[in-house]
Amino acid sequence: MELVKVDALGLACPLPVVKTIKALEGLTGPAAVETHVDNETAVQNLIRLAAGKGFPVRSEKLGEKHFVVVMEAGKAAPAEAEAPALCLPDRRGNTVVAVDSDAMGRGSEELGRTLMKGFLYALSQLDELPKTILFYNGGARLTTEGSLSLEDLRSMEAQGVQILTCGTCLNYYGLTEKLAVGGVTNMYSIVETLAKADKVIKP
Amino acid sequence: MSRQRQLRLVLSFRTAAAAMALERLCLDRGLPGRLIPTPRQITADCGLAWSAPPEAEAALRAAAEESGVLLDGTNFLEI
Repeated sequence: MELVKVDALGLACPLPVVKTIKALEGLTGPAAVETHVDNETAVQNLIRLAAGKGFPVRSEKLGEKHFVVVMEAGKAAPAEAEAPALCLPDRRGNTVVAVDSDAMGRGSEELGRTLMKGFLYALSQLDELPKTILFYNGGARLTTEGSLSLEDLRSMEAQGVQILTCGTCLNYYGLTEKLAVGGVTNMYSIVETLAKADKVIKP
Repeated sequence: MSRQRQLRLVLSFRTAAAAMALERLCLDRGLPGRLIPTPRQITADCGLAWSAPPEAEAALRAAAEESGVLLDGTNFLEI
């Protein structure tokens, strides 16, 4: 499949979407259109553009102000004339999610791990994403290599959701070098983040 | 407000254990897809489903049948 790169770094809304639409219009066959942007709101708007056209899309944070959105144009029939949302505001609320285990609920550990994967997937599908997701104690396993939730977490991170894992916990479990998404935090930041939240969700 | 939706094959199961068994099978064999909470379009009950690209249907059904994992339903949904 052809790869078309769109450099929209440094461009304000709606230019990243406009440039991507132009790239899509110029395609002569199925192609992956890879748009590089420098802010999370642009990522959200590009994801909406792909959704409106029925194209599979993924997003990832590559650096502090560098995000990439890849949409596979031509793999699905374009949706009927849904007007692209060019410049909608940031869709993050002020909700914080606190994940203290890699399993959801008490009982079977295996079932609990399955439920937690489902929880993080469903969280990534919310129309209003959380502001921050905190991972501590056994929750640290979810942000490190081998976690089956990395795709969901990377997608949310690229849309501006802060993904933070407790450094003490990573150290305790020997996972410090295996962090695969988001950043490291400490107890002061965890407490401040929880205290400032409008709402805290604990699965 | 719209979010990302794609046409997906969604296999449903009668039991959570069957869904988890298919997940293990797919991870072992490198078959595509992922476990998700069963979409509301299929059932309002709590449940688990396997979401995969539509073109994987034959391979997934064959693997499930060969391993004795019972499927409840085959759905194609925009999720």
